[in-house]
Amino acid sequence: MSKAAKKGLIMGKKLSDILTNAGISLDTKVGGKASDGLSQREIKREPGKRAKKLRDIYYKTLSSADNEFPYWYSRKYFELDGEIPVVRRAAALKEAFSHLTPSIYPSELLITQKTFNYRGSFPMPWLSEGYYMAKEDEFYKEALKRGGTSADEHSKFGSGGGNVTKSFGKVVSLAGKFGMRQEEVPVLLKIAHLWHGRSVDDLGHKYEQMVPDYEIKENIMRSLVCMFDSGYTLPQGREVTNYYYPLQHGFDGLIKMAEEMKSKVAGRADGDGMAGMNRLYNYEAVKLVVEGIQTWILNYVNELRRLEALENDKKQKSEYKKLADMMKWIAHNPPRTFHEALQMCWTIHVAVLNEDAISGLSPGRLGQVLYPYYEQDIEAGRITREEALELLECMRVKFTCLDCFASMGVVGGVLSGNTFNNLSVGGLDKDGNPASNDLETLILESGITCATPQPTLSLLYDDKLPEDFLLKAVDCIKTGTGYPAFMNNRIAMKFLLGNYGPEGLTEGEARAWAIGGCLETSPGSWMPLTLNNKKYFIPGGSAQPTSVGVHFISLPKILELVLFNGVDQRTGERVFPDHGKKLQNYDEVFSAFKDYFCKTVDVLALCNNIQHDIWRKNNMAVFHSLLKPDCLTNGHLINEMGYRYNATFNVETTGNINLVNSLVALKKLVYKDKKLSLEELRTALKDNFGFKKAEEVKSYSLLDQEKYSESSKWDELHFMLLKAPKYGNADPEADDVLKEWEDWFTSVCRNYESLYGKPYYACQISVSTHGPMGAVTIATPDGRLSGTTFADASLSAYPGTDRNGPYALMTSATVWDHSKSQNSQLNIKIHPTAIKGPAGSKKLLELTCAYMKKGGFHVQYNVVDSKILKDAQAHPENYRDLMIRVAGFTQYWVEIGKPIQDEVIARTEYEGV
Amino acid sequence: MKVCKELLYRDVMNYTPIDVIKGMDMITKKIVMADDPAPAGYKIKPKCKFCKNFLVDDKNASLGICKASKNNFMAYPDMIATTCKDYEGTDL
Repeated sequence: MSKAAKKGLIMGKKLSDILTNAGISLDTKVGGKASDGLSQREIKREPGKRAKKLRDIYYKTLSSADNEFPYWYSRKYFELDGEIPVVRRAAALKEAFSHLTPSIYPSELLITQKTFNYRGSFPMPWLSEGYYMAKEDEFYKEALKRGGTSADEHSKFGSGGGNVTKSFGKVVSLAGKFGMRQEEVPVLLKIAHLWHGRSVDDLGHKYEQMVPDYEIKENIMRSLVCMFDSGYTLPQGREVTNYYYPLQHGFDGLIKMAEEMKSKVAGRADGDGMAGMNRLYNYEAVKLVVEGIQTWILNYVNELRRLEALENDKKQKSEYKKLADMMKWIAHNPPRTFHEALQMCWTIHVAVLNEDAISGLSPGRLGQVLYPYYEQDIEAGRITREEALELLECMRVKFTCLDCFASMGVVGGVLSGNTFNNLSVGGLDKDGNPASNDLETLILESGITCATPQPTLSLLYDDKLPEDFLLKAVDCIKTGTGYPAFMNNRIAMKFLLGNYGPEGLTEGEARAWAIGGCLETSPGSWMPLTLNNKKYFIPGGSAQPTSVGVHFISLPKILELVLFNGVDQRTGERVFPDHGKKLQNYDEVFSAFKDYFCKTVDVLALCNNIQHDIWRKNNMAVFHSLLKPDCLTNGHLINEMGYRYNATFNVETTGNINLVNSLVALKKLVYKDKKLSLEELRTALKDNFGFKKAEEVKSYSLLDQEKYSESSKWDELHFMLLKAPKYGNADPEADDVLKEWEDWFTSVCRNYESLYGKPYYACQISVSTHGPMGAVTIATPDGRLSGTTFADASLSAYPGTDRNGPYALMTSATVWDHSKSQNSQLNIKIHPTAIKGPAGSKKLLELTCAYMKKGGFHVQYNVVDSKILKDAQAHPENYRDLMIRVAGFTQYWVEIGKPIQDEVIARTEYEGV
Repeated sequence: MKVCKELLYRDVMNYTPIDVIKGMDMITKKIVMADDPAPAGYKIKPKCKFCKNFLVDDKNASLGICKASKNNFMAYPDMIATTCKDYEGTDL
């Protein structure tokens, strides 16, 4: 340790104190003055006894992984060497589903889960077999070299809740989160070795090396310019699933359809010499997978019958019997009641999640999908609103129990352990009328009474939606769960028509959209459901996964590389070739930035196209494909573009506002006002303005950073940069830079082509990547210090820099056309007292409507007192149930890593609206 | 099915796992630890290690093969076999 560093340990002078002494304020509380005491959220309710009991089990449950599914999958797969790939995969899936051990717990009204554990998951070595290995293992070392595990090194999980961050007793921690019993580890390794050289990761790597400039791709991954590859990590998700076909036809009906179609297409190309013949094998695969899922459901029936025989409690015995009868029915037939339909949707959802590694599988507009059953049950007196609410509360617990098994970097660094099952409400129906209904009101109600992270809720905002429905949503927001987020129906439809119009999307069908994942606008279709001779049109997803392709480019990191001519200042490694520019004016900086950005997207798009191509050849979705229009009718699965919409690959970025603020500082202070030279700036950035690294300070928020010496050498320069115009204040000097950047970025993505021959588009969400990506980026020209977390989302202001209130922030956010991007993301933190009572609710709704009218796509609110968050950080044991909105998702505080916790605490808190 | 003595909870039929360390005793409805002894009289849960078709690996007791599989595919003692059609209980 240097002398200066040692001295710093003694001094530890914080930036917040330095700024106060200098008379400069980065005040993170604006717009009013809340009380000094701890302010609880205004609305807090409890679920019914049943859901509470089941949620209490969840609170005490560890994330648990086992090998049952991968064992049976692998056993059948290797038995069928030489079989047609899609049939081989389907047979392996059937074998795995057929052997899943059913677990059922007393009081459950909805059953089926991923594994026999309450919060279970499992690795899929056919996708990747390296990341969950011990760090000494050769597979892990190989992944490290490729850059595939770089994100793991900089990702952090919260150590509370159900995360198994360390091995203990007879439990081994995998990928920093999942616990596996020690006696299962040998078979885990043995199965992983079977897939070595055959997984999507390995085969993809073999072929991606043939891409020109492949070395740059490895550099990009190692330096964390990019967070992760998508083809072998989470190849599906961020999309809306579709329950229509099983709801309408039942599983027996689907098998019958597959059999009939086999007869029609066997031996026939029907004019398609490339893929026409494949339809036969695809239908055979569909049949096999559906049979596997039926066996899985019937195994639950067997277990229910066993429990029924065992049970002495009359009520519980009767519930087991009812569940057994219901499961037996839906194993074969279309559902008849709301309960049966909800159970079927849930079972389908779990089946899709077991078929592939997926985050962000959204149930879509479930309240509209299930409304026909609800409406008829209510009319017939088969169910009461209270009973429906109880079922919805149970559904929330089930969704919350879902875990997604992936690497530390993906699950921790990107997802913060979240699974993003986003349920949308509102929007318009097929004919353009408000689509909200009484069941959706109950869905909002269950989000209030049974507050859990999943499913998160999104409200598809349209001017036509009734005010009482919108105010119900505001009530839900005031519980502090962060949902529903508001998304703009008008902007989404404009984006969808622009992106999917070439594939035939019409205005009517664009209305069927919903949010996939945290914030991914996804197209859907209206499907004709007939129930008891009454016809309805229900919405459902009809497109491929989104947020596949180029996953999270760190914009501030690219700027660092521009300023230092392609060399990563953290590692000293060269990432890009010398850009050859002297950076003598702002245009040269922006031009060099564009060059590096384009090189990044280009090489990542090519490599990810190869990975996804390997995925589609050997690991294609069979079950998920049959659910989506129009695979069952055209005989082609996802890999053969059987889906109605296929232009879903995108470029995701993070650190948007730190980039914009940095460009503003460069433009004004270095080039326009010439207050400092570029060389001075570079030296100050390298020296981190005289501060320690965030990792040393153990805090990742700007104001907590500490000096390593008493020197004030860089203070004046640092203050100047911090005081430069910032985004979020309706200041044209900053907002013009945002607009210039957004106009270019949203158009340039169109230059890249996915493996499906469709153009990429822009996607702007941070999820949790602003934590690890900030951790590896040195100080930035906006005054942010090394290793600290970036601003969240894509349009949230950097903490403490938005000083003119939320309306000014929204003015800044809407200087560009949001319909040019799949999304934009604005998160606002509001003190509970700022929106207290009915008048406060109306104020929040007015603020939201104003943003939507301005053309904002998305806004979500954290209604919380930051003092509570600080107390929760100090005493996590008292806050097992505290939830917080991060960026597109809600998560238990104790399961979030410290960099994101620090960032959420640091966000500007509006104490008045 | 055999009635055994000194079985651990995780090896008995009326234990439903919740996570890697605990589960529910479906008779008492209480949450119990997986590695605690089950009450006397509890029946064994079908697992590979209780199956006649399982052949344990001489070198690694956590692994073995399933003789009922094609090509003698690997198996592991603790795998639950309640859904396995080839399971044949053995005397303990």
